[in-house]
Amino acid sequence: MSIVLPLDEEQRDALQELLNISMGQAANSLAQLIETKIDISIPTISAVTPNELYGLLFETSGAFYTRQSFLGDIHGEVMSVLSRSGLSEVAELMDYDEPLSKEDIQEIILELCNILAGACLAGLSEQLELTTNLNMPTLFVPDKTNFDELKWQHSLVMEVRFAIAISSFSMRVVFCLDDESLTRIKSTLDELLE
Amino acid sequence: MSISVLVADDSKLSRRSVIRSLPEDLSYDITEATNGQEAIDSLSQRGFELLLLDLTMPEVDGVGVLEHLQNKESKPNVIVISADFQPEKQKIVMALGAKRFLRKPLDKEELAMTLFELGYL
Repeated sequence: MSIVLPLDEEQRDALQELLNISMGQAANSLAQLIETKIDISIPTISAVTPNELYGLLFETSGAFYTRQSFLGDIHGEVMSVLSRSGLSEVAELMDYDEPLSKEDIQEIILELCNILAGACLAGLSEQLELTTNLNMPTLFVPDKTNFDELKWQHSLVMEVRFAIAISSFSMRVVFCLDDESLTRIKSTLDELLE
Repeated sequence: MSISVLVADDSKLSRRSVIRSLPEDLSYDITEATNGQEAIDSLSQRGFELLLLDLTMPEVDGVGVLEHLQNKESKPNVIVISADFQPEKQKIVMALGAKRFLRKPLDKEELAMTLFELGYL
């Protein structure tokens, strides 16, 4: 069962815009590193159950999944989904030599997460004047039972998508927030909207 | 005399931020568009001196609006205000006739300087 979004239209619009600005900063960081254009989507914001979150994240085509928690004024978890397709082209742009070892792949995935997810969260926190610290990402395999055990029983999910123009690579970043953090963000958004 | 300005951005927060950032020394006749198609419709209905244009918008994006303006004889001065400020994107919009490219979050002084350079101040 879907949950009603706990933000009013103005709050959602404002959060979406702040996220959009953060995505632009994140995409610019990666674009400078690999000297290639990055396409960014319009961010989406929704409220989901753990089961829906699993459905949102899981891809039938091959993908790598990472998760990293963040703490501070707001806390939650960032989950990233990176396509297997096109990853070798991105690796080449990042100056990795073929064939890629397992360690190379892991390093590339974690680097992309740090650049894109990290910059997104940093940009969002800065604009909301909040302090957050993002932990290191770890690879994981999504499993429905894992998701049922998640503490994010009613997650606010903010999803952004990056795609590298000259390859088939894409990456989605999903931010999950708990209720307490959501309350904090709502009050900050209201101040911005005054 | 007011400057006719079209502010095109899908975000109300951003439109408000842009309008608040306009220098107070001038007066403005402001029209808002919430996506690229609305911007094109407004541009078809009347002339504007200045278009403050976001790029990432639903329906038609900012690049689509600039492409639409390519075929027009009378065009507003376009200042793109976008979060997507990668060099490649800046090249595209400048090639399509934008006068300036400003980054979000918008810096009020940078907007004032840009308007000064374009002869409004």
